[in-house]
Amino acid sequence: MTQPFLSIRKLRKAFGAFTAVHDVTLDIPKGEFLTFLGPSGSGKSTTLYAIAGFQDPSSGDVLLQGKSLLAVPSHKRNIGMVFQRYTLFPHLSVAENVAFPLRVRRRPDAEVKKKVTDMLALVRLESFAERLPGALSGGQQQRVALARALAYDPPILLMDEPLSALDKKLREEIQAEIRRIHRETGVTILYVTHDQEEALHLSDRIALFKDGRIEQTGTGEDLYLRPATDFVAGFIGNSNFLAAEHLETVGGAATIRLADGSLVSGISANGSFERGQKTRLMIRPEAFRLERNPASAELTVDVVDIAFYGERRRIVARTTTGQEIDIRPTSAAMAAHDATPSRRQVFFDPGAAFLFPVESNSRKGA
Amino acid sequence: MAGEVGPPSRDKERDGPVVPLRNPGDAMSVETEQSIATMRMPAGLGGLLPALTLIGLFFVVPVLALLLRSVTDPAPGLQNYAALLGDGTYARVFFNTFLVAAVVTIVTVLVAFPVAWMLAIMPPSLASVMFGIIILSMWTNLLTRTYAWMVLLQRTGVINRALMATGIIDQPLPLINNLTGVTIGMVYIMLPFMILPLVGTLRAIDPMTLRAAALCGASPFQAFRRILLPLSLPGIAAGGLMVFVMSLGYFVTPALLGGTSNMMLAEMIAQLIQSLLNWGLGSAAAFILLIATMALYALQLRLVGARRATGGI
Repeated sequence: MTQPFLSIRKLRKAFGAFTAVHDVTLDIPKGEFLTFLGPSGSGKSTTLYAIAGFQDPSSGDVLLQGKSLLAVPSHKRNIGMVFQRYTLFPHLSVAENVAFPLRVRRRPDAEVKKKVTDMLALVRLESFAERLPGALSGGQQQRVALARALAYDPPILLMDEPLSALDKKLREEIQAEIRRIHRETGVTILYVTHDQEEALHLSDRIALFKDGRIEQTGTGEDLYLRPATDFVAGFIGNSNFLAAEHLETVGGAATIRLADGSLVSGISANGSFERGQKTRLMIRPEAFRLERNPASAELTVDVVDIAFYGERRRIVARTTTGQEIDIRPTSAAMAAHDATPSRRQVFFDPGAAFLFPVESNSRKGA
Repeated sequence: MAGEVGPPSRDKERDGPVVPLRNPGDAMSVETEQSIATMRMPAGLGGLLPALTLIGLFFVVPVLALLLRSVTDPAPGLQNYAALLGDGTYARVFFNTFLVAAVVTIVTVLVAFPVAWMLAIMPPSLASVMFGIIILSMWTNLLTRTYAWMVLLQRTGVINRALMATGIIDQPLPLINNLTGVTIGMVYIMLPFMILPLVGTLRAIDPMTLRAAALCGASPFQAFRRILLPLSLPGIAAGGLMVFVMSLGYFVTPALLGGTSNMMLAEMIAQLIQSLLNWGLGSAAAFILLIATMALYALQLRLVGARRATGGI
């Protein structure tokens, strides 16, 4: 068996009576871009800080290439990190900030100079070398921080919500920059964010945190198309939850009764359910169709409002039992249909709908 | 720290009286705005008149009177200055004064830094209690505090007796009536003047910056020397200048805790005027002290810049 590059083993961190991280276990292969995603207070930053050495875990271990990091002080871990706040050294020029990790390692001057030039080229800030950090924009500062964190070729780069202080346009620009740098350097990145779009755009894999535990680990597609729990379904993308009663499950395909009395079969069931158990049916807004096809299930709704969202429309509708749902057909699909509010049928593929138990785990903080 | 990285335009906020004269629609660059503000200074003098009168009456006039006395008493001429600067005994007092002030300043910085750092990073509620204690010591009568040190430091004082009782020393240490006594007593009195500006500077440093330095591979010592120390220099400079200048003219503590062999300038001036009734020589000594102080301040302004010298206050 090959040894995982970075391994988090049953990591646990308690602050007094409050446990911030419960037995988090995760293996990260070399070169992966892994994102810790979750609402604030879900334990993702605490886990990252344990890897950085800013917080001693209560129990568990962090292994890099088979060796425990816990006994190693922060400054000897050789890990790169970009922080949420701007943490450049304000009295040093951009070039000296990038050179700092090399200077404390007492590398020869010529090597430092070359590396600084390379790093500033990597983040495309060559012409800013002599400026002080205070003279840079927030986005530029974070790029310098990235250059500083990569200057000593660390095996792992930690990023703690590095873009949260930037505006949307700048964020997207730097996301592209981070992807490019990940491609070019092949560094293993652990990235923390509460922004699901950012996680989906950037990561190879996402670990979704909730209340100090990892709810699901997988690619963005896994989490979006095959959510393991209703929390994952609710956190990633938009979703509609309809109250439903479970009738039976045969070979992973469940039959349920919706609140309006209609029966739907062929639903993907997550776990096993009992007959008559109260459940929630999750359907993505874009999984609804306006056209019937042989396999589709149907739902009668009253259209309340239709809004134009560019490539998609957003229909706000209400089921006959009064539950509001969100439907996002493409604008093209919508063109053939009457755009006025009315009662109508909408359709969905039961295979793209997921059944979750009610209150399998509470959704506080989502 | 405020001075170093902040936008260059901050200074103009202080030109309070000038502001109403500015054309509100003006969209000027920082440079023109500043040079115009400087040019307009004379126009703003009217508003400053009460303050200028006060300073003139209570500061400039007495200093001029002092200067006048030093060159006219007992006869016109520079003989008072010649006597002070030419005589070995007086020169020793000058040297000793600067030596004590320098030692006190250095020791104060060394003691104040860790205290200020703790105050800067401790929870605010606890820090305000600590500040209260420090301020309270400043409000306690100076003479009482100095006598307390005499009790502690003398040959049969608490410190010597404790050390002898534990067998660490056989003979009492000479802690009083010498430079040691003066340094201990004065550092104690000067500490708040160093701690307060330093805490302000240290609080402005984001602790995350030090975490970043650690992850970059800096050992605690390297992080201190390359990051924390340079960033706290403005506070050290501001507090250091204040402590040094105050020490130069200090009277009570050196008089009570110092010995006769290391007299300081303030004691000498007191003796010249009170015991010897030599107003001319005393005034000249005081004036030399003033010039030395101002020269130091000017030097510091040149070295670290105006805002750093005052800690950005």
